Amino acid sequence: MGKNNNGIFSSICQACHMSCGILAHVTDGKITKIEGDSEHPWSQGMICPKGIAYQQVVYHPDRLLHPLMRVGERGENKWQRVSWDEALNHIALKLLEVKEKYGPESIAACCGGNPRRSMPATRFLTESIGSPNWAYSDAFYCWGPHVIAENATYGGRITSDTNIDSCNSECILVWGGNPVHTHTVVARDIMRARARGAKIVVVDPRLTATASKAHIWLQLRPGTDAALALGILNVIMTEGIYDKEFVRRWCTGFEELKGRALSYPPEKASEITGVRAEDIKKVARLYAKAKPACLYLRVGNELIFNSTQSSRAIACLIAITGNIDVKGGNLFPCLPKGTMGRMFYVKKEWRLPDEIEEKRIGAKEFPLLSGPRAPFGLFHTPLLIKAMLTEKPYPIKALIAANNLCVSLPNTREICEALKHLDLLVIYELFMTPTAELADFVLPAATYLEIDELIDRYPNYITARRKIIEPVGECWDELKITDEIVKRMRLKFTPWPELQARGWQGYEDFRLKETGLTFKDIKTGEYVFGPMEYKKYEKNGFGTPSGKVELYSSIFKEFGYDPLPHHVEPFESPTSTPELAKQYPFILITGGRTIAYFHSLGHQVPWLRELVPDPLIEIHPDEAAKLGISDGDWVWVETPRGKGRIKQKAKLTRALHPKVVHSVAHWWYPERFTPDHGLWESNINVLTYSDPPYEPICGTCAMRGLLCKIYKGAEV
Amino acid sequence: MVELSLLIHTDLCFGCQACEVACKQENHLGVGPRWIRVIEAGPKEIGGELKMSYIPIRCLHCAKPVCEQTCPTGAIHKRIDGIVVLNADLCTGCKACIEACPFGAPQLNPETKVVGKCTLCVHRIDKGLEPACVAACPTRAIHFGDINRLTELKRKDSANSIFW
Repeated sequence: MGKNNNGIFSSICQACHMSCGILAHVTDGKITKIEGDSEHPWSQGMICPKGIAYQQVVYHPDRLLHPLMRVGERGENKWQRVSWDEALNHIALKLLEVKEKYGPESIAACCGGNPRRSMPATRFLTESIGSPNWAYSDAFYCWGPHVIAENATYGGRITSDTNIDSCNSECILVWGGNPVHTHTVVARDIMRARARGAKIVVVDPRLTATASKAHIWLQLRPGTDAALALGILNVIMTEGIYDKEFVRRWCTGFEELKGRALSYPPEKASEITGVRAEDIKKVARLYAKAKPACLYLRVGNELIFNSTQSSRAIACLIAITGNIDVKGGNLFPCLPKGTMGRMFYVKKEWRLPDEIEEKRIGAKEFPLLSGPRAPFGLFHTPLLIKAMLTEKPYPIKALIAANNLCVSLPNTREICEALKHLDLLVIYELFMTPTAELADFVLPAATYLEIDELIDRYPNYITARRKIIEPVGECWDELKITDEIVKRMRLKFTPWPELQARGWQGYEDFRLKETGLTFKDIKTGEYVFGPMEYKKYEKNGFGTPSGKVELYSSIFKEFGYDPLPHHVEPFESPTSTPELAKQYPFILITGGRTIAYFHSLGHQVPWLRELVPDPLIEIHPDEAAKLGISDGDWVWVETPRGKGRIKQKAKLTRALHPKVVHSVAHWWYPERFTPDHGLWESNINVLTYSDPPYEPICGTCAMRGLLCKIYKGAEV
Repeated sequence: MVELSLLIHTDLCFGCQACEVACKQENHLGVGPRWIRVIEAGPKEIGGELKMSYIPIRCLHCAKPVCEQTCPTGAIHKRIDGIVVLNADLCTGCKACIEACPFGAPQLNPETKVVGKCTLCVHRIDKGLEPACVAACPTRAIHFGDINRLTELKRKDSANSIFW
């Protein structure tokens, strides 16, 4: 597709997960400009800074171009360029040795939320080897909690970025997210809805860009989302403004839920959350009476200690107001018939046998995250990291990762220590990172502009992400890397005979096999739409044990969890640990997103770094004045259980409650070539925790709603 | 008389900064000059509520440009269609225009050592395209055209908002 030609070619952006349409201008086989594609059915020409600046990712002078083999000590950043053959032979040999000595389960693989083809690539590696230890490694605090909660409640997912039908909605409730910075297309749709009269409500401890455009902003205390949702449920249930017909026909456990909600009258919810009782009532009435209304739920509700139960409370809210799978509500996808969605392989029929899945790290502790009956089946990352260090419950000796664990996950120190214990660490990456520096082999991955891929997206279409240019240097499609590794282990690409026969190049056609299409058919840039259907549950019911929406969750009951949602006070807070709060007076939230970066990606891209050049910590000016901190000062941050301290740059803002501070996460300094790229200086995850207490269902480590102290005196 | 200009509906701007990066790409700008820049204003308490706005700051292509009057080498001039352009070949980097402009629009380019500023993407306009910032804005907050037409549209919007 236009490989060495000149011209303008369409494809699908992958600077984040949104998958907007782009037009790439190519001159002599090189991309010179990226614009939005007005032909794309959803983005309609929209593009964000990350999308435009992607040419600076592809041609960045620091991009990894060749396989590298470590020659110094781990972390010393000394490398030798090797051929693909040499790297792959070494890796395969070592994996066979580990498998032989410790068993297949001692080999783990993971990807992060990184927008590349890393997810199937790392997944197929463990499937081939027969190890249950694969994960999208952040799932225990991002994505996992609401997926577990919504699966238990409805048997499917309906709150994600792509499932809200804001274009047709009368009221949009944005809960714990800032789509202006994370899903700009969603934010654009919300602005369009607002222009035609829809009401916008934002639930967030910070006055975000999105909140600044809302009609109502509920500033809740971090970590108290469940209490707020239960307060809203209380008003809707006691005032009888729920969808009675839907509840009667499709919900079980209404009376039980009502019994629980009765213990959260708005005044009590107000006391817990800090939101005024009249505002709770106002939002409850607005959301319940607007027909239809939709709810956009993001990680603000998941990075907290009560992540799964608060997601359950919100799931019940969507249900009793009758906003499930209706036009303008929260939708189940309806892709063209037969399409295997991009994460089909987490479904039960594609997974390893139960007796293998039972060995997965976390299966005993968090069966709904990691066990055979989990909706996806992923290891629990903190327990996997601990297993590397302690060899308990069994040794983990090799890891193939396509993400920057040390920067992105809680407790940087422990992760770095654990990775050094491995016999083999292999990283698929675009750039050298603090995590890749600890590896034995660093393998250069292709960007989205260099590969072909099938895209399935909101709410009902498939299309092709088309290869625009040849990979730079010796970069490879990550599926190919995996295939070449397993081939050398004398294994097949997957355990599924049909895909084995097609090979990795046949992956797109495999996903289309039931549709009557081939990838070649849509590679012209076609969009193939499924019929837009609503209330699909009327045909097949809900995918829960009862076939109905389970307000009282039989799955949670079976697994020994509270079948009704409840509030739990954050384990560190001025309320639960008042003595500790005297020394560490601020409530800390970490990792609010910025427009410039996608998690730990993009800090080396000049046009993006210019937008957000420094790691900021947001502090209320009144509190800053007491501490003698001025705007732009570098300050020290400490947490009660974190070792050491980090420095960030103070941004004084009234966007937060005086007792709450917000620290940007995922910070590293790619421009520093000394070992570790400044990993310890400003990365808040140096101070976050991976030890218990874990949230009991998904194993979440709270990263919002902790305590911290801040003081001046740090230098640049 | 035609007077080409940008007119920004700040109520629609949510601060995504796509305009900034689109401008950089279109005009081949490195780190430093930001010919359009979205400034976060606030949050500030107004009428008991906390308010925050995003204001894109750029060259306003003044009807009587003080930068043009100040420039000692004649590098800046206002075209007949209203666009204030700067001829980099004549610019000495004296910064008189930077001092004179009340909006901080002209900026010294650290690479070329001369001043640059928004050209309204005159090279795109000549091809019948919108300026890059206008094309990239997700909420269509930035409008481009003859100021008299834009003012007329604004009058209509205003009448509608009062009526409703």
